[in-house]
Amino acid sequence: MRLVLASLSRQRAEWRHGYDVLKETGLSSGTLYPLLMRMTDNGLVEAEWREPAQLGRPPRHVYRLTADGFTLALKLAAEDGASPGKPVLA
Amino acid sequence: MTRPLARAIMMIALAGMDIGRADWSRAMAAELEVAAADGRALPFAGGCLVAAGRDMLASASGRFVLTSYVLALGIMLPMAALQIGCAIFGFPYLYPDQRGLSGALLVGSPHEALLRSIYLGAVPALALIQLAAGIGHLRLAWSLVERNWPDALRWCLWTLSGVTALTLYMSVLFLDSRQAMLQAAVVGIELVMLVVIVRRHADLPAPIAAEQPG
Repeated sequence: MRLVLASLSRQRAEWRHGYDVLKETGLSSGTLYPLLMRMTDNGLVEAEWREPAQLGRPPRHVYRLTADGFTLALKLAAEDGASPGKPVLA
Repeated sequence: MTRPLARAIMMIALAGMDIGRADWSRAMAAELEVAAADGRALPFAGGCLVAAGRDMLASASGRFVLTSYVLALGIMLPMAALQIGCAIFGFPYLYPDQRGLSGALLVGSPHEALLRSIYLGAVPALALIQLAAGIGHLRLAWSLVERNWPDALRWCLWTLSGVTALTLYMSVLFLDSRQAMLQAAVVGIELVMLVVIVRRHADLPAPIAAEQPG
């Protein structure tokens, strides 16, 4: 979850596609989507539909952190900064 | 070849997703196109299958669906296959003498001359009841997966009636009815499990048709 929070918090105001987050974090879709679902259920991430850039493609889901999600991301980043030896968990 | 296979895997994954996750199913399906353009369709679809499985295990309704499928595919379908196989091919599990239909007809037995005509008359009826029970079992499995509870209970009771009739009929003919009794016991257990499943389904929260927009 930390990886996803870190990835989304880097561009806090930007809406991100799932595949972009997947490539940036290096997570598999089998890990990323359950995380995004749970984070959305818990109000850490918000999602919405965007019309496709290319004609004939389906609309795509985009994601960004909510205020709660961003607060948690900052808190976790501060904790990681305080203890540099701590592993960053997905 | 990779893309159709990935699409097939994705379809299986999406079929397993809860109705309340419909938006997430569409979101994953849309990203598959992007992953395919990036040459990563197969691992992406495989991951989505894992995601769907994880989501099913995480929710009560998902676990319920998995339990239904395990019961239908793991117990009811094999039982139906066994019963239909017994009826059509004369598998040796049911008929006396462990020699299938010929055993039931006492071919080569010392009592053949005395009793064969009686068994000749009885065996088609036995096989028919067994076939009907097997078909009932198939319908039962289908109704369970469809979550059509009135149909599932009706077919379970029909199947139980069939194997009970088979047991009684075989006993009247002084045939070894232990295998038929075993079938009746299994169907009885299935009936109890079905009642438990129906009650659990009634206790499940109603699915949310659509989640928050976007």
